[in-house]
Amino acid sequence: MSAGAPKVLVWDWTVRLFHWLTVLLVVLMWWTAENRVMDWHTRLGVTLLGLLAFRIVWGLIGPRSARFASMAAGPGAIVAYLRDLLSGRHRASAGHNPLGSLSVFAILAALCVQVGTGLFSVDVDGLESGPLASLVSFEAGRQAADIHEISFNLLVVLTALHVAAIFAYLVFFKDNLVRPMVTGRRAAADFEGETPAANRASWLRVLIAAALAFAAMYVAWTAG
Amino acid sequence: MTNRRTKVAIAALVGLSMLGACGKGASTGAETAAAPEAAAPAAEEALLPNGLTAKVQIETRQAQLKKMGKAFKTISDQLKSGSPDVAAIQEAAASVPVESAGMEDWFPAGTGPDSGVKTDALPVIWETPEDFAQKIADFRAASDNLAAVAAGGDLAAIGAAFGETGGACKSCHQTYRADD
Repeated sequence: MSAGAPKVLVWDWTVRLFHWLTVLLVVLMWWTAENRVMDWHTRLGVTLLGLLAFRIVWGLIGPRSARFASMAAGPGAIVAYLRDLLSGRHRASAGHNPLGSLSVFAILAALCVQVGTGLFSVDVDGLESGPLASLVSFEAGRQAADIHEISFNLLVVLTALHVAAIFAYLVFFKDNLVRPMVTGRRAAADFEGETPAANRASWLRVLIAAALAFAAMYVAWTAG
Repeated sequence: MTNRRTKVAIAALVGLSMLGACGKGASTGAETAAAPEAAAPAAEEALLPNGLTAKVQIETRQAQLKKMGKAFKTISDQLKSGSPDVAAIQEAAASVPVESAGMEDWFPAGTGPDSGVKTDALPVIWETPEDFAQKIADFRAASDNLAAVAAGGDLAAIGAAFGETGGACKSCHQTYRADD
């Protein structure tokens, strides 16, 4: 793949920024939880809430590869894709492949459960609590904390599967999926003549999604 | 086609549920191995010198500690809010010395994890009893002070006294309670 080969934008800059900021935040939040730095755990959690809100809005109004509607694949498509993969046929996807979509939906859902329960969580001593915990009872807050712990383990499993899958594409199909998530681009030749839809982010839409994300953060921070 | 797919899905589900069953079987086996059948119920039901069973003693102290957790949440919620309800703080703060009365007697020998009752109390409690008793005394003093300060109604002073009480909880829990 020479530097001069024509490239296609697969992931717009907001999707890439969301992806890597989420990685960073999840690691930092794990660390702050383990070391009981709960004030920072809460601040980072509200930031992650903003990122998730942005990504959900972006899944509705973003460019094609970011949209949930273009990611959703039926069980039939997933099975067919798996069958192709297992028999060694692999084609580059201009966005999420059917299996990758499943992984994205699962990880996004786990992150939403994680942030949602964290808002209401209370520690066993009643001393530390999420920003909205004052709206619920001690018992409900404890339940939220229990789910918070279970869904974190689920998130770890989903992340491990995600990384293992990326590694498998690299080893078995010589397809490096990390580079496009950094640069946003893939060689146009990977798509065998088909020209994928434009995935450029519109500034107006970025602003709309960002405004909604900040509104969600504001509510989480002040409603308690 | 559809039929085959369904079969694959069912096979996968059966496989997963068997995995689940395996996990359960294994853990039950481990528990049985750790606590021989005859000994486990005996320790749970054996009478402590105070006349309670280990199970009752452990569940009672857990219920009391939970009441205190609830009171602390009330105080923490109010202190965080823009317009704290001082009466609610005073009520919660006054309840802590009452609910924690006699705490020094809540951890008699035989009420650790060896009793077979589920408890986060660590065996180290009974290895360093003087330090553990000191931690309880510190907490009792801090919560008495919190109740007194709360009665005064000065929010800044309440915040400081609450911080000290919370610190007393934590300094004991980090040594003597599991998962902390």
